[in-house]
Amino acid sequence: MGLVEKGLLPKPLTKLLNTARSYSLWVYQWGLACCAIEMGAAFGSPRYDVMRLGVIPFPASARQADFVCVSGTATDKMAPPIRRLYEQMPDPKYVISMGSCANSGGPYWDSYSVLKGVDQIIPVDVYVPGCPPRPEALLEGIVLLQMKIRGEDMAERWRGEPLVVGGGLEHGGVPEEKQVAVLKARKKNPAPA
Amino acid sequence: MPDWKKAAYVAAQAADARVNVELEAEGMTLNIGPQHPATHGTLRIVCRLDGEQVVWADPVPGYMHRGYEKLCEVRNYPQINTLVNRIDWLGSFCNEVPFILAAEQLMEVEAPERAQWIRTIFFELGRQANLILFLGDVGTQLGAITPVFLAFRDREHVLNMIEAATGGRFHPNFDRIGGLKDDLPKGWLDETVSAMKRVEDFCDEVEDLMIGGTIFQQRTRGVGVIPAEVGLEYGLTGANIRASGIDWDLRRDSESPLAWKSADFKVVTHPDGDSFARCWVRLQEVRESARIVRQLCEGLPAGPIMAKVPKIIKVPAGEAYVETENPLGVMGYYLVSQGGLGPFRLKIRTPSFNNIAIAPWVLRGVYVPDVITILASLYFILGDIDR
Amino acid sequence: MTATDAPATEAPAIEAGHHQRIVDGLRGSLGDAVLDVVLERGDLWVRVDRSAWHGAFEAGKRKLGLTFFSFLSGIDWTPAPGLSGERTFKGEDADEGDEPVEEATEVRTGLAGGDTRFQVFARLFDVRRHVGVTLKADLDDADPSIDTVTDLFRGADWHERETWEMFGFTFDGHPGLRHLYLPAEFEGHPLRKDFPLLSREVKPWPGLVNVEQIPPHLDPKNQPAAEAPPSEAPASDAPAADAAPPAEGGTE
Repeated sequence: MGLVEKGLLPKPLTKLLNTARSYSLWVYQWGLACCAIEMGAAFGSPRYDVMRLGVIPFPASARQADFVCVSGTATDKMAPPIRRLYEQMPDPKYVISMGSCANSGGPYWDSYSVLKGVDQIIPVDVYVPGCPPRPEALLEGIVLLQMKIRGEDMAERWRGEPLVVGGGLEHGGVPEEKQVAVLKARKKNPAPA
Repeated sequence: MPDWKKAAYVAAQAADARVNVELEAEGMTLNIGPQHPATHGTLRIVCRLDGEQVVWADPVPGYMHRGYEKLCEVRNYPQINTLVNRIDWLGSFCNEVPFILAAEQLMEVEAPERAQWIRTIFFELGRQANLILFLGDVGTQLGAITPVFLAFRDREHVLNMIEAATGGRFHPNFDRIGGLKDDLPKGWLDETVSAMKRVEDFCDEVEDLMIGGTIFQQRTRGVGVIPAEVGLEYGLTGANIRASGIDWDLRRDSESPLAWKSADFKVVTHPDGDSFARCWVRLQEVRESARIVRQLCEGLPAGPIMAKVPKIIKVPAGEAYVETENPLGVMGYYLVSQGGLGPFRLKIRTPSFNNIAIAPWVLRGVYVPDVITILASLYFILGDIDR
Repeated sequence: MTATDAPATEAPAIEAGHHQRIVDGLRGSLGDAVLDVVLERGDLWVRVDRSAWHGAFEAGKRKLGLTFFSFLSGIDWTPAPGLSGERTFKGEDADEGDEPVEEATEVRTGLAGGDTRFQVFARLFDVRRHVGVTLKADLDDADPSIDTVTDLFRGADWHERETWEMFGFTFDGHPGLRHLYLPAEFEGHPLRKDFPLLSREVKPWPGLVNVEQIPPHLDPKNQPAAEAPPSEAPASDAPAADAAPPAEGGTE
């Protein structure tokens, strides 16, 4: 896909690729708390049947996933694993934050051990409110994500800086020796602005 | 001894030693979790392996620790009622009841009879919603995918009934100090009785498909045996201890104001104490629970659903400990009040915390595939461990 | 509700047979170390001296049939006026008969009394006779430590680790007091009353405002009459502009 990297992708081709991408999403599920059961109902139950949207649940690992559904309370202790799993996903990657806790901390907003929203550690594309949201709400969130993907200019997305959380890992507090090799290489040879 | 015999002996010893060295597996540390399907939640288990055998296993909880006991100290009673729903998120209503009962005990308020009956019905619906998912989930852990689809299908019937009356599928937040938020809608009782039929059908289906099957039994029978006295030392409760032959169920054995005394049900026990026994006891408990709901729906008394309580809930100073038989085991609230709008201290005794604390003991010496079986049959919910 | 005034030697009126048996058994094994006994609402509380903590568990398990270990935890009796519940409904929302909630300022310990800031309490149960007891022991303020009971009840392991983490109590003889819930670098003991919830200090609970005021530009009182003909619009605008500033002052 040399065209994509050069930013020379013709529009019809972009549209075709985006449509194809939006209907073949592998979703990696991070069931953290109560919302995990509603997510399970949306993904695993015959009543809601997420596969009719072209979304395939239960990939073998995060490395095969296109988007991740973070559902439930993200605690401070859980934050490093979440971040690590997100970094293992291949680009382009998307995040749906499901439920009040993942959105903002929810009912545990004043706790000493809960993150005030998972968007503090990874970027979120779609927020699904509710405590917990009904499975239908999650399905709507997925439809919204698909709309977002279809409207995306891939060349725009891949031009310039790589898609790194919050403008680069160096702001995320991860020391350099712990960063993955790819990111180090990217930092050494930054893409032309 | 002739020299050739000595030499042969030495050679044989050397050969044995060489074989031993070659076969000896180096100790390996296997990290399971914190995000792993087998832990159904965010539990992390660090296992030290010798070949296929677990030398020791150490669960690392805390990935879902939300600080309930501290948060309850800065909230008032209605707010806590909302919060405690989310401890055991599969049977949410069951979390509310012991807390409300503890507060009622200190306030010396008693809910009317009809409210107690409806509470019992919802308690049992919560138990079904919880244990049905267990029966599906334990199949997934053993490689059978179908039961979990069946569980999600038939669990909806129970959730629909909870939603129809309370407005919440998951977290009803329906219980109030002194009674209930609302009365039941029209036609709800008949619908519930027919939903119980579906629950019982699901039990039959799971029994035919999985629990009665040879593969399931071969993988679970004799695996992870917990003797009764060890279980008591670790504080195991619920189906885990009943599967070890202890005939103890707080629904029958405690002076609860709820309406279990008015229903006819069996307390199921199993003498074996292995993984199969735990699964089997839970299956029978769903059936008994459906029976309880049916009986209570048929005999539901008329009357008010709310006792007279002040608009602003203030609990007099004192201490109370109330425990109930929740889907996962005994759940208790130790409520310390100093007369304020919120508790001074609320110790929440959750069943899964004790049920999973036995894991280092029961996992020692088992094979790696059995780790999953045993953990699935011990049945924990992460919110219930970590609070 | 405190029973500190009751002398420890005077046997309280305990009628239930099983409770009496437990009290007699504990007194027989521990003697004067049983400091206080309270039976309330059909439940039993026994406060023992901290030197007899292990002995109470041993007597309970070996002699009295209290084989089921339910839980072990701690409590910090420091009064925390700002912490104990929301004080939201004291104002206009209260019913007429409601007196304002009094805030505790002095240490008031609970059932079976207590002399120190920290207490540790645990519950044992007899699954055959269906009777339970809550054991309590006072801890030293400066050095809150007590004997472990993990040699009697292996399930106490995690409970003691949790109590160590949440309150900072040490359990002598415990095989390994490691963090259970919190990350290893966490500082402080969250369930102590002097541990602040920083989110609450930074931003008070938003529910403090019970009913939000209508913004002045949406208040129907400030709106010009809808059916007024356009020619009169300049005339009706002027009073609306006058009315707006006091309404704004009211919201703030």
